This record gives sequence, C-alpha cells and structure tokens, in this order.
Amino acid sequence: MSISAPRYAAGTVVRTGRGSRILAIASREFFRRARAATLLSVSLTFFVVVTVIVVTVFFASLLGTANAGDFETVYESPVWPFLMLIVAASAGAGSLADDVGDRSISLYLSRPVHLVDYVAAKTVACGGWLLISTVGPGLTGVAVTAALGYASASVLLAAIAGFVATGFVAAVFFTGLALGLSSLTNRALYSGVAIFGVVLVLYIGGSIVAGITGNIYVPYANPIENIRSVAHGAFGLSGTTATEPAASAVTLVGAGVVLWVFALWRMRRVEVISE
Amino acid sequence: MPGALIDVSDVSKRFGTVDALSNLSVDLAPGFIGLVGPNGSGKTTLIRLLLGLLKPDAGTLTVLGHDSQRDPLDVRSQVGYMPEHDCLSPDMTGIGFVSHMGRVSGLPKEVAIGRAHDVLEFLGLAEERYRKIREYSVGMRQRVKLAQAIVHDPPLCFLDEPTAGLDPAGREEMLNLLRALGRLPNHSFVLSTHLLPDADGLCDQVLMLNAGRRIASGSVRELLASHEGESVIRIKGDTDRFVAGLTRRGLSPKRMDGEIRVGLSPETTHAVFESAMEAGVQVRYLGRSVATIEGLFMARVEQPEKGGSE
Repeated sequence: MSISAPRYAAGTVVRTGRGSRILAIASREFFRRARAATLLSVSLTFFVVVTVIVVTVFFASLLGTANAGDFETVYESPVWPFLMLIVAASAGAGSLADDVGDRSISLYLSRPVHLVDYVAAKTVACGGWLLISTVGPGLTGVAVTAALGYASASVLLAAIAGFVATGFVAAVFFTGLALGLSSLTNRALYSGVAIFGVVLVLYIGGSIVAGITGNIYVPYANPIENIRSVAHGAFGLSGTTATEPAASAVTLVGAGVVLWVFALWRMRRVEVISE
Repeated sequence: MPGALIDVSDVSKRFGTVDALSNLSVDLAPGFIGLVGPNGSGKTTLIRLLLGLLKPDAGTLTVLGHDSQRDPLDVRSQVGYMPEHDCLSPDMTGIGFVSHMGRVSGLPKEVAIGRAHDVLEFLGLAEERYRKIREYSVGMRQRVKLAQAIVHDPPLCFLDEPTAGLDPAGREEMLNLLRALGRLPNHSFVLSTHLLPDADGLCDQVLMLNAGRRIASGSVRELLASHEGESVIRIKGDTDRFVAGLTRRGLSPKRMDGEIRVGLSPETTHAVFESAMEAGVQVRYLGRSVATIEGLFMARVEQPEKGGSE
C-alpha cells in the first residue's frame, strides 16, 4: 500500500442541490429493491393481470358487449390484492428497516439531508415499484387488447382512466403501509410479515364484524373492500358496493398519508449514533 | 473565537439523569484534533451535537462558522463523518457504496465515481473495490468507512474510534493513513478515541473529556510541556517499605505495573536513595518517564482542578 495525498483533494466541485441528493437516495433504493423477490412478484402481477384482461375482454368482444367494466374484473378476485401484498412486502418492507438494521441511516443523516428528504426518497422508490405494479399491468392489458382489436377506443380510454385512478390510490395506500410498518423494526422480515398480517386481519376481521353488526362504516376499515369500491367507481360500473367509491378513495389515500407521517415520526425517534 | 474551526460555548446535554456534557466550552483551531476520554465521557455526544443530530439543553455550537443547530445542513455539507459502529450496506460493492455516499453529499454522479476510485486506491482498496462489502474484513470495512467520510473532500472530518476492532498491524496502517490525511493542507480532522496512544504523534491539539467535563484542552505540545514528567523507579526488595519511606519524605509515589512513579525534582532525588537505604532495597532503574497524552490524561483525571488550558 502506498501512502500519498489523494488526487481528489485538488480543485473544487459545485455541489448538487437538494433534489439531486434525494434522487440519489431514491434511485439507489429503487435499484436495490430490484431483487429476485420483487422482480418475480411484479412479473407475476403483470402476467396475471394482463391474462385476466385479455381473456375477459376477448370473450366480451365475442358477444359484442366489451365495455370498460370488463377490465375491472381483475379487482374482483382476491388474487390481485394478494399480489400487491407480495410486491409491497418485497419492495417496501426493508425500505427503512434495512438502513436502521445495518445503521447506514447514520451516514445518510450526517450528510446534508433532512430526515424528511430521506423518507421522501424512500417513498419515491417504494412508491415507484408499487405504481409499476398497480398501474403498469392494467395499461399493458389495455395495450394488448387494443393491439388485438377487442375493444373500441372509447372503451380503452375509459379503462386507462380506471386503471390509473385505482392504481394510484392503491399505490398510495400500500406505500404508506409498507413504510409505516418498516419504520417499526430493524428487520425487513418482520415488517414484511406485518404487511400481510395487518391487511389480512382488516380484510377478514372487517368482513366478520360488518356481517355481525351490519354497521355501514365497518367496511371502510377493510382496504381490499375499499380498493374494489374505488375500482367500481373508476371504471364507471353501475350497482352498489359496500362502501362509497369516493369515500373509499379518501380513506385509502388518507390512511396512506397518515402511515407515511407515522413513519416520519418514528424515524425521528431513531438513535442515529449510539455511544 | 473568530476563525475557530469549532466553537463550543457553555454546552450541556443530559440524558435522563445522566449528564453527558456539563457546561462545556472550548475553541478548537484547524488541525488534527484529538477528542479523547474513556467510554461514556461524552465524545460521541459532542460529535452528535456538532453535526446537529442532537439538540443541546444549553449552549451553542459553531462548526466552520455555522451554527450547528440553526444551520445543520450547512455544517453537514462541509464535514465528513466516520462512525464508530458498523454502518455499511453489506449488499453493495465498496466502490458503489462510496460513490453513492459521495452523491448524497452533493457530488455530481461522474465526479462521485471518480473520487470514489481515487480515495479507495489511496486507502489501499483498489483491488477489492468491486467486491461486496459483506466479504470485507474488519480492517477493509474500517477503510471503507473512512473512504465514505472523505470522498466529498470535506474541510473537516470527524473520525469516531477509527482503530476500533483492528489488530495491531491494521491499527498501525490506519494510523499511517490518518497521518497521511493529516498532511493535506486546509483539511482538519477530529479524532475521537478512548485509545489515548492513538492520539500521540497524530494530533496537534487535544480536548480531553471525562464524565462529560473538560479536563484539558489546547495544543498538545504546550500541554505536554506543562505536564511535569514523573520519574520511574524500579527496585529489588521490599517495595512497601520503600514506598512508605518515600511518603514519609513528603513524596507521592504511585505503584503501577511493577514500577513506582513519583514526581521528583533535583532537590528531592536524594530521598529515593535515602528511602532505598532505609528499606534495604536495590534501586535498579531511575529515570524520567516520557510525557504522553495518556500520562497527561491520567494526571488530569487525578487533579482535575489543574485542567483547562486555552
């Protein structure tokens, strides 16, 4: 090993701004999550959603009744929420937990980075994966059916709007959920299990309690029911749902935001450097 | 003090019932600064306060002219920090991690990558830079921690226990690297360590803490010059009687590692031989001890009222 003054010490460099530093953290986090589990779950989501859309719209086109509502079929099955839980767990469970676990968070926060910038960067990365998974497959399905000529342009445009609206709301909720639970632990495994646990408890518990009590507000505690309701409204379907679509959208976005704020609050309490 | 690198004024910080820092005031000029003291003396708390990661209960802290509480980002954009604890992402390569931290510090992407290569080469990790950090030895991980702290070329760098966990050879290598860094013009370092010999020969200033209080600070050369060197005595025979004889003659002998240490002047040297004759012991060695930061620290811990040179 030779010891001499490093060459980098010569000259000055204009530093990048706050946005670039956030982007650096976000892009690193995004590609860090591009591991087998995330890629597999996202690919599976694409495969399932596109297949369901193409098959459903194909049969509807045979009957000459293809409409935007046929694209909404994918949300009726419990498979879609299950896939979203896998994506949220694989892409988001370690967002904050991994950095607290390996204590690299102390390096981030000793840099010219606000805590809110750091959490925002993690949100962008986790939200990016979830947005790809919630919106991407639907839009791909629309593109495939358009290429195959199964539906008219107006139906396709309505379907695009439906997928974007539903996907955005779902992505906000699952991102907030993943970050909120990730902030509670330093083990990604625990927060991943918690993501499944919380949603399943709300899904099953909410259904049971709503069935027993008949209370019309209890279904709002069920995120799956809320997403279905939002999809119902976004795709312009007639008929009633257990919850009001607009109220469900507000509930999901509100829960996502509250969970994000909770994550920020939790991170403020993390010991950055220990004696 | 205008132009000070670090200006700490009446800072106190309490955790529960524990006073981590008590009314600490110190001005430190640019250079290689030793922040020394035993574990729990408040060294890391002071670094956290200087980085703006903690709020003091009282007092103000200024780093490079910026108030660390009002403008923490201005401070952090000009400092590097090497934590004591492990903090590396094991799933990244050395070059990936260091360049990433360079970008988070505000370097453009291409510049960050270039500097990461340079600094890893400088630190002797050129061959291993593309390996995952999880495959690195403790010594290599310490060097990556140092690399991420200096990749953005900060004018001030906090090094928290950089030799922790290293074997003697690794420790010597790390100290050599720090010596090389210390020769860079316009670059200052704060070396926090409880291993006082690490600060010897490396630091030109020192801040000594004990139980959250300053026991000495200032130029190492001046502090050591003001520190009365003790004499070391090795004898063969009844040590207890010999020590009792010294005490009777008004000296304050201390028994350490089989030796006797005592402050002697030319006028009191004869007391050693009188006590030896009285106790019937042979004086095998009598000489001056070398003044070190460790010796100075021990002396100041025992006589805290003498601390505090500016």
